[in-house]
Amino acid sequence: MDLNLDAPHSMGTTIIGVTYDGGVVLGADSRTSTGMYVANRASDKITQLTDNVYLCRSGSAADTQIISDYVRYFLDQHTIQLGQPATVKVAANLIRLLSYQNKNMLQAGMIVGGWDKYVGGQIYSVPLGGTILQQPFSIGGSGSSYLYGFMDQSWKEGMSKDEAEKLVVKAVSLAIARDGASGGVVRTVTINSEGVERKFYPGDSLPLWHEELASVNSLLDLLPEPMST
Amino acid sequence: MSSIGTGYDLSVTTFSPDGRVFQIEYAAKAVDNSGTVIGIKCKDGIVMGVEKLVASKMMLAGSNRRIHSVHRHSGMAVAGLAADGRQIVARAKSEATSYERVYGEPIPVKELADRVASYVHLCTLYWWLRPFGCGVIIGGYDRDGPQLYMVEPSGIFMYFGTAIGKGRQAAKTEIEKLKLSELSCREGVIEVAKIIYGLHDEAKDKAFELEMSWVCEESNRQHQKVPDDLLEAAKAAAKAALEEMDAD
Amino acid sequence: MSKATVELPPKGGFNFDLCRRNDMLTKNGVHAPSFLKTGTTIVGLVFQDGVVLGADTRATEGPIVADKNCEKIHYMAPNIYCCGAGTAADTENVTDMISSQLLLHRYATGRESRVVTALTLLKTHLFGYQGHVSAALVLGGVDITGPHLHTIYPHGSTDTLPFATMGSGSLAAMAIFESKYREGLTFNLVYCAFVEIPQRDEGVKLVTEAICSGIFNDLGSGSNVDVCVITKGKVEYLRNHQKPNPRTYISSKGFSFLKGQTEVLSTKVTLLEKPQQEEGVDKMEE
Repeated sequence: MDLNLDAPHSMGTTIIGVTYDGGVVLGADSRTSTGMYVANRASDKITQLTDNVYLCRSGSAADTQIISDYVRYFLDQHTIQLGQPATVKVAANLIRLLSYQNKNMLQAGMIVGGWDKYVGGQIYSVPLGGTILQQPFSIGGSGSSYLYGFMDQSWKEGMSKDEAEKLVVKAVSLAIARDGASGGVVRTVTINSEGVERKFYPGDSLPLWHEELASVNSLLDLLPEPMST
Repeated sequence: MSSIGTGYDLSVTTFSPDGRVFQIEYAAKAVDNSGTVIGIKCKDGIVMGVEKLVASKMMLAGSNRRIHSVHRHSGMAVAGLAADGRQIVARAKSEATSYERVYGEPIPVKELADRVASYVHLCTLYWWLRPFGCGVIIGGYDRDGPQLYMVEPSGIFMYFGTAIGKGRQAAKTEIEKLKLSELSCREGVIEVAKIIYGLHDEAKDKAFELEMSWVCEESNRQHQKVPDDLLEAAKAAAKAALEEMDAD
Repeated sequence: MSKATVELPPKGGFNFDLCRRNDMLTKNGVHAPSFLKTGTTIVGLVFQDGVVLGADTRATEGPIVADKNCEKIHYMAPNIYCCGAGTAADTENVTDMISSQLLLHRYATGRESRVVTALTLLKTHLFGYQGHVSAALVLGGVDITGPHLHTIYPHGSTDTLPFATMGSGSLAAMAIFESKYREGLTFNLVYCAFVEIPQRDEGVKLVTEAICSGIFNDLGSGSNVDVCVITKGKVEYLRNHQKPNPRTYISSKGFSFLKGQTEVLSTKVTLLEKPQQEEGVDKMEE
């Protein structure tokens, strides 16, 4: 077994952003790995940029964290300067700018999602080279390769919030089932005119696919009562 | 001119004992002697008009423009020293493009006006700089609707309608009479033309050329010259109104 | 005339001769000396009103134990401590540098340092060196916003967790945490209400157990257990909290030798020559 604990922290990931009637839903798994070792099984890959814009991160954890730190700082300044909230497009463009200008040093694929009063819910994907694409839905990370067909088939214009959330959870859990680098729990963030709602789906609450075994709650159920004081 | 000879008017970095900066007041004088510039905010956009005084009869019509486009959605009309005005326009253009490069969307008109004002203000802070001898009216259309600003060496303000230059007082009283919230830009063009023709003194002033631009729904929220046919119609209407006045 | 084959001297550009030489050397088993790396087990966990940090005390130099009782829990601020794994020099210096920045920041603001401040300073520093400063850290502390625990990787990525392990023994330690950690670190709240700060003791016990797991199962870790408990307004640095590897085979009599134990075979005394005054050179006068 080659654990390779010295490998840079990277997020073999499934991330997803979906627009629906009135807003967006972002989703991600929670696995962070160094080589073959799961360094964090409950990480949060959906980072807040402003009150109304969130970012799904994939690729190198260090790179995407530093990008989101910078962009959050730029957006805060911009919000103060204009005296009104930044738009989703501005946030996406700042991410694109950093990704593009430092493309030789970064390994970062990101999906920006949010809501603003001018355009409503928007999803922008900023893949590796630092280009920007506005899309009705977008998928990213290593797990996304298992999802293209599924998403093309099941995303529909004018979905309700509930339908969109269900779609995101289903997509991420499908990817978790097939992609070894994705796993853990499913986290979602829903953004619309009313605000932001975070949801959390533990691994044992996810649907089972095709002959999967239900998870017993890991070691905790199997071991005798630990740690009696 | 109580300031002359006192020595307090030699630098922008010197205050007079009663708290005035004479150099800025002199800069304002340069603006006051120029042809009138008018900007109004109608219900669907902005109309700007300039009474461009023609120095020579041999000058090509349409040259030496005083209204400039800053970027797609906003423009700038200059009163005072035209050369100083071009300097401001150049800065405004570079601010607008740099904003769009960084943020991926057109610069809001307020932000543009703020940045232009900072630049103009900067030139009043150092002894080795001369304040701009001009004032500018910035008109633009962004996601918050049409907006109008005026930037002078002495400060920045937001307006429904304003005027600078020689005939500003008369122009302002005329603008106040308009019902700007009900006026369309098409009607606004004619009103501005009437005002400029009305306050021009044929006997005393030099010959002039009317220069007009707008940003409105009809121009697809883009800053453009007023179409030739409309400009001609406005001129005709203005001349007709003048003759009517003379007849009375 | 046929083309003359003349060997011209190279006119510039790059020269890769040394790369080929270095390749040859490594192929033949000559390696550049490496740094002192601490094969390590470091851990941390959050309990009700504080954090517990733990570390082993072995420092290694390849297969050799360089120090049997080193300190791996570093001071950052009065309310923040940091465990370090990786290259000893890097962990030592990076924590020292950030610690002094935090001190200056406290002087400037007049407020207690926050854990996120230390976290941000550390991660931006490490990110700037793109993983070449090999410090893997477990940062813990209590500030105005409560107890916090973070892990920082050499490339500058960070995680925020209720329990964390790092170093070569992290797998062994994580096995203990994963099977025994409970949120709030107490099994019956009712019982705990009658006992004096029970969560603290549970935390220390679990951390000790995790470190011991590293000490016994990981070759890079060993010797003793250091523990640091940080609660609001209080720090307990328990140096050598547990010594699971005492020295064995010590002579009960001790090791002392009587005078004259070494026999003198012969003696020769050589007198030093008297230094001669050089002639013709004046003495320095004042």
